[in-house]
Amino acid sequence: MNFNFHSSHRAVVGFAFFSYLALTVLIAIIPAASVQDTPGIPGVAARGALAEQGRVVYLREGCGFCHTQFVRDLPLDRPYGRATVAGDYANEDPPLPGTERTGPDLSNVAARQPSDTWHLLHLYNPRAVVPQSVMPGFPWYFEEKAAAGPEDVVVPVPPRFVSAAGHVLVARQEARALVAYLLSLRQPELPR
Amino acid sequence: MVRRRIQDPTLRPSTTADPATVRVAFEYLACATFWLLVGTAAGLLDALKLNWPDVLAVPWLSFGRVRPIHTNTLFWGWSSMALVGLALYVVARTSRVPLWSPTLSRISLALWNAAAAAGLVTLSVGVTRGPQEYREWVWPVAVIFAAGLVLNGVNAYMTVATRNIPEFYISNWYILGAFCFLTILFTTAYVPLYQHGLGNVVIQGYYMHTAVGMWFTMLSLGIAYYAIPRILGRPIYSYALGVLGFWTNIVFYTLIGAHHFIFSPVPWWLQTTAILFSVGMMVPVWAGGCNLLLTFRGTSGVLQRSYAAPFLLAGIVAYILVSTQGTLEAFRTANIYWHFTNFTVGHSHLAMYGFVAFVIWGAAYGLVPRLTGSEPNPILVGIHFWLALVGYVIYVVSISIAGILQGFAWVAGEAFIRSVEAAEPMWLWRTAGGVLMVASHLAFAVNVWAMRPGRALAATPAAPPVEASA
Repeated sequence: MNFNFHSSHRAVVGFAFFSYLALTVLIAIIPAASVQDTPGIPGVAARGALAEQGRVVYLREGCGFCHTQFVRDLPLDRPYGRATVAGDYANEDPPLPGTERTGPDLSNVAARQPSDTWHLLHLYNPRAVVPQSVMPGFPWYFEEKAAAGPEDVVVPVPPRFVSAAGHVLVARQEARALVAYLLSLRQPELPR
Repeated sequence: MVRRRIQDPTLRPSTTADPATVRVAFEYLACATFWLLVGTAAGLLDALKLNWPDVLAVPWLSFGRVRPIHTNTLFWGWSSMALVGLALYVVARTSRVPLWSPTLSRISLALWNAAAAAGLVTLSVGVTRGPQEYREWVWPVAVIFAAGLVLNGVNAYMTVATRNIPEFYISNWYILGAFCFLTILFTTAYVPLYQHGLGNVVIQGYYMHTAVGMWFTMLSLGIAYYAIPRILGRPIYSYALGVLGFWTNIVFYTLIGAHHFIFSPVPWWLQTTAILFSVGMMVPVWAGGCNLLLTFRGTSGVLQRSYAAPFLLAGIVAYILVSTQGTLEAFRTANIYWHFTNFTVGHSHLAMYGFVAFVIWGAAYGLVPRLTGSEPNPILVGIHFWLALVGYVIYVVSISIAGILQGFAWVAGEAFIRSVEAAEPMWLWRTAGGVLMVASHLAFAVNVWAMRPGRALAATPAAPPVEASA
C-alpha cells in the first residue's frame, strides 16, 4: 500500500473520506441521536387534526423562511416568550427554529394574538391589519360569495376587498386550518 | 478598468484536449447556465415581492415557495453543474487522459437536470420537506440527484486512477474530496433515524454549513488551483499551502455547523465547539486564499489582457472576505446583533456569488475558448464582469446594512414593524443590485453560446483558424 499522498490517489481519497465520515459521526450523528429523544413538556396535549393540517399548509407556503420558532434567552427576544427548550421541539417533525426573522417569532403567537378573526384578515391580506407589512397574502385560501352558507366562516374585510356590494369573503378549509395551527402556537409553562 | 483583450483570430482548439471530454464539460456549463437564468429570475422575483408584496399574488409564485426554488436551483442546478463540468475537464487534463467515461457523465447530467426540474415543480406546487434550508427537496428528488452525484464521483475517481503521470495534482485532492463529502453529508441529511425533535436541528446546522464548505468551496478551490496557474502561466505560489488548506478545511469546516443555532437548546458544548473552530477557519481560508492571491503577484499585465483573470481575482478576494466575515458572525456577541437579520443573506450571497460564481466564470472564460476554439466577444465579457461585480456589491452592501438596521432596532427594543420599515429602503437597493446581476447573466448566456464547440473541435490540429465569433 502506497501512503505517499502525492502519488497515491487511494491514500488521499481514502483518508479524506474516512476522516470526514468520522467527524460527521462525532459532530452531527451522535449529538443528534443523543438529543432526539428529549421528552416533551409534561401535560402538553397533542395538536388537534385541524391544527395539524394547518401545520402542513405552514410548511407548504414556506412561512418558516421568515418566521422563527426559536426564542433565545436574550433581552431582545423577551417579547416572544420564554427561551425555547429542547422539549418544545420534541413532537415537532420537523421542528422549525428558522434562521431569519423578516417577520416576528411565532413560538408563542397565540398568546400575543389570540383572535382568529385577526389571523384570518392578516392571512387574506396582511396590509388590511398592518399597513407596513411586507408579508405575502394568501387570497387563494379564501373565496368570495354572494351570501354566506351556514357552515361558512366569514372574514369581515372592508368593502373594498370584495368585488360587489353585499358580497362576503369566506375562509376555505386551508385558511381555517392555518389559523388553528397558529392558535396552537402557545408556549406551555415549564414545570418547576 | 480592464483593457480590452484583442480577439485572437488564430485561436484554435487545444491539441492536447480530448474532444469528447470538452463536449461533456461544455454540456454541463450550458445546462448550468439555463438553471442560472431560472434561479436568478426566482431570486429577483422574491426581492421584488419584499418591495411590492401584492405583485403576482398566485400560489406558485408566492414568496415562501419561490425562495427554496431560488436557493435549490442555484445550488444544485447552476453551481453544482457548472463546477462539476469544469471539474471533469480538470481531472482529465491534469491526469493526461480523456475522461474515463463521457457516457457516465452524460447520464449524470440527465439525472441532475431531471432533479433540478422535478425540484422546481414539486416546490412550486407545495410538495416540500418544509423550510429546512437546502434540503427542501422531497426524498425522491434527492435520490435522483444523489445518483448523478455518485456516478460523477466514480467517473472522476476512475479518470484519476487511470492517469498517465505518477503525480496526483492538488486540484484533484479537492475535487475527489468534494464528491466524497457531498455523498456523506447528503446521506446524513436525508436519513431520518437520528432526526426527531432537536436532533433535526443538530443535523440542519451541520448540513447547511458543510454543503457550502465541503462541496461548493472544495470544488471552487480545486478548479481555482488549476485555472489560476493555467491562465497566469505560472505555477501555484505554494503547493504545501494548498495541502495544508485541504486538511484543515476538512477538520475545521465540518465542526462548525452548530454556529447557526447559537443560544438555542442545541447542547452548549456543541455551540462552543462550533465557535472555536469558526476561528480555526482562519487557517484554511488565509492559507488557501493568500496562496491563490500570491500566485497573482506581479501579473498585472495578464490581468489587463485576460478577460478571465479579473473574475478569478475577484472570486478569491470574496472568498477571503466572506470566510473572515463568517468567523466574526459566529461570536456570541456579534450573533446577538446579526443573527436572524438580513446580514446572513448578504453573507450567503458573498459566498455563493462573489466567490463561487466568480470562480466558475473566470474558469469558464479562461479555459473554454482554449478548448473549443471559439471565443466570446470580449466587450460582452467585460459587460458581464462589471454588471455582476457592481450588482452584487450593491446587493451585499445594501442587504448587510438592512441586517444591521434590523439588529439595532431589535436590540433597542422597538416594535417589530420598525425593523421592517428600517430595512425597506435597503430592500429597494437590493433589488437594483439584483437587476444588474440578472442582466449580467444574460450577457454570460450569450457568451456561453459563443464559446460552444464548433466544427473545429473535431478536426485535426491542422485545421484552419476558426473565425472570431461575434
